[in-house]
Amino acid sequence: MTDALYPDKDKNKEPQYKTLAQKRMEEIITGYTFLAPAMIVFVIFLVLPIVFAIFISFTDWNGITPLAQTVAGASGQVEFTNPSGETVTVPMGTAVIKAGEDGIRYLTQAEIQVPANGTAIVAVVAADITQGKDTNAAKSLLKDIEGPLSEVLEVKNLAPITGGLDDAFKMEGLDNYTRLLLQDGLAQKDFFTAFKNTLYFVLGVVPVQTILALLLAVVLNQKWLKARGLFRTVYYFPSITSSVVISLIFMWMFSRSGIINVVLSGLFPNYDPVTWLNDSNGLIHNLLGVFGITRQTVGEWATTRIVGLTAWDWISGPSVTMFTIMILNTWTTIGTLMVIFLAALQNISPEVYEAAQIDGATAWQTFRRITVPLLAPTTFFVVTLGLIGTFQVFDQVFVISSGGPAKTTITIAYIVYQNGFKNSEMGLAAASAIILFGIIFVFTMIQRRITSEHTA
Amino acid sequence: MLSKRFIALFSLFAVLVVSLGIASAQDEKLIVAGWSSNPEEDAMLSALLVQFTEDTGIEAEFVPSPDFPTTMQTAFASGDYPNVFYIDSSKLPDWVEAGVVAVGEGELENPEGFYPSLLNTFTYDGVLYCAPKDYSTLALQYNKDLFDAAGVEYPTAEWTWDDLMAAAEKLTDKDANVVGLVTPPDLNRWLPFLYQEGGAIFDEEGNYVMDSEAAKTALEYYISFSTGGFGGTADSVDAGWGGEAFGKGNTAMAMEGNWVINFLLQNYPDLNWGVAELPMGSVGKATMAFTVCFAVGADNNNPEASWQLVNYLTGEAGQMKTAEVSFGPMPSRGSAAQTYLERWEEPAKGTKFDVADVGAFVIGAEYAYPWQLPVGFQPFVDAFNSSLQKAFTGEMTADEVLAEAQAAAEEVMSQVE
Repeated sequence: MTDALYPDKDKNKEPQYKTLAQKRMEEIITGYTFLAPAMIVFVIFLVLPIVFAIFISFTDWNGITPLAQTVAGASGQVEFTNPSGETVTVPMGTAVIKAGEDGIRYLTQAEIQVPANGTAIVAVVAADITQGKDTNAAKSLLKDIEGPLSEVLEVKNLAPITGGLDDAFKMEGLDNYTRLLLQDGLAQKDFFTAFKNTLYFVLGVVPVQTILALLLAVVLNQKWLKARGLFRTVYYFPSITSSVVISLIFMWMFSRSGIINVVLSGLFPNYDPVTWLNDSNGLIHNLLGVFGITRQTVGEWATTRIVGLTAWDWISGPSVTMFTIMILNTWTTIGTLMVIFLAALQNISPEVYEAAQIDGATAWQTFRRITVPLLAPTTFFVVTLGLIGTFQVFDQVFVISSGGPAKTTITIAYIVYQNGFKNSEMGLAAASAIILFGIIFVFTMIQRRITSEHTA
Repeated sequence: MLSKRFIALFSLFAVLVVSLGIASAQDEKLIVAGWSSNPEEDAMLSALLVQFTEDTGIEAEFVPSPDFPTTMQTAFASGDYPNVFYIDSSKLPDWVEAGVVAVGEGELENPEGFYPSLLNTFTYDGVLYCAPKDYSTLALQYNKDLFDAAGVEYPTAEWTWDDLMAAAEKLTDKDANVVGLVTPPDLNRWLPFLYQEGGAIFDEEGNYVMDSEAAKTALEYYISFSTGGFGGTADSVDAGWGGEAFGKGNTAMAMEGNWVINFLLQNYPDLNWGVAELPMGSVGKATMAFTVCFAVGADNNNPEASWQLVNYLTGEAGQMKTAEVSFGPMPSRGSAAQTYLERWEEPAKGTKFDVADVGAFVIGAEYAYPWQLPVGFQPFVDAFNSSLQKAFTGEMTADEVLAEAQAAAEEVMSQVE
């Protein structure tokens, strides 16, 4: 009998039905197989590097030495010269040493006979390999033989003694974290300068970009607005353009003879062109200066040091260059946030607005009492995105100012790069990155607590 | 009948195995890593490698990287790095200490043919590591038209600090956005002045000696260009660097190295300019030498062929060929110096540049100091540079800058065991 359901099945075989459990298993396998590529990428490129970074942050690795390298002693060859008339025997294990009190000895690896008025060559190996790289010896340094043979023979090494290697890293415990946070020094000063700059950046950019994005979204959501799609594209466009390209264009715009200064000179006749990208004066300092408060006129308290920076430094505000980068960052991110708000706004049912209208609410009251509370989850999302993004600002700093002028645009992410790739302190870089993670986590938790209190 | 799923998985597995096989087959080839300087130089290097393969039968490939130090660092960390690679003199201490550079003593052919100062730069702890490939020195470029207009005599080899300051003063024209001299806020641009005054960063024993009268004099002199108004950073005249400011005519003088020759001849052929040596301080002449070498990796699957290649590229014939198309740096062998001078005759035709002026860069080799600091001194450089920037705007004095630099140096030295 032909089976209408399974026309291709062999009639002599038993029809194979799958049990529910088997079907379940198939579903699970298929599900995980589809997930597998993303999971593998996630583990390899996210989880493993994070674990590795945490590990490295407890070491003093310099980022260059091959990680697999372990300590090894140097080896090479020396030449014995015998000026006397008799053959001299040099036993195995004779120590040859550097001139001076270095303490590193190299032991001959075989017994040799040095002929009368002749020379002989023998291999040597560092006696104490735990001294690693220090056991390397330049060509001219091995001069003495330990013991009575030194009165009979002369020695010199033929080529530099090489091959001494150190361990790639030592475990340093919490040293890196202490150097960054607690210990007085350059590392702490740079880290907290970066922290101060990043903090001003975050506090300046996140509120502004959230509010502006919300306002733009509300405007774009109005029924009377035509060509909404066009406006959306125009505002969203900066978000998808390469941040490097935008940074370069901003560099030209904000140069001393660039268009920004030209426009400002046209508007304000007394305007003295500002070198936007090379001005390290803090904005708050400038503001205080208008009222006559400068570093010289302010009281004694301004010179107290709080974690590496003076109190006066802490209240400097973002520098003019940092301010330019803040404008750049706000402009590029508003588009994305606006689109998110727009989507959320369109989810609010028009009946709510109609009810408000019937109750006689003004536009402002509608906005403040209805729109904003309904958008609370979206606002939380947008602010969190903003926090995470601004705390990690790096691209623009790298392209525009490389941390200058006078370290006023250094951010924590830039400190990670600087420590890891310029100062050859990968352990310190990893520690900075972990601290940055901690900071963002704390801020996000605080922010979550604040918003959940409102919505509760 | 094999299920489709099985066939798909098996083909994926097969592709992986084959690609791994291809990857490991490339072990036979020598990999030469460096950065891309300009198309002609890259082409010449590749041509030299092709010729090397014809002469010796060993395959070699040039792999340029955009951000060379960062790329190399990640390669070193993995333990799998190229056979032959460039090392900039400033990076030599770090990379030798990391144990990734093979010793060059005994492997290099005709080391006597190299300039002694270059061999010294690449000798660390008494051991020579790599073969110098080329070098650049700093010299003084001057705009002849601006000098004529202001009635100032051209710089000579006998110029002193006072001559330089006086000329800068006369040549500054704020209204026309022209300054006398661009003074970059960089340690490696100020060091010639320190050495000219007889100062130094370290003495022979390795003690820090930059807290000297000479350093203070040299630093005050350098800062006074900015605070006096006849000099400053390149972006105070809207340029990215001194060469650009000079080419556009916003500065009458600049202190750049050989790289500026090709830049100006190509981009500003109408510029009427010349080159003189840097002025003398009270002790004598000094300039900086920026130099790069060819090194062989320590963990190498083919060390003999690697040294053969290095000797080929830095030998007499290789140096001549590289000098013929050099985009700036001078050959590290004195025997190729003449070829280098002649190389500029062609590009200089039709411009107002006198090729004989290139000699000012070449002479610099005699009194040049290498740009090289001990391991771990990058924070010192950063601290000095950022303090210097503040000093240019008058926020810090020379004494304060030196104090900051000293604090940074002491901290670095106490860190290094």
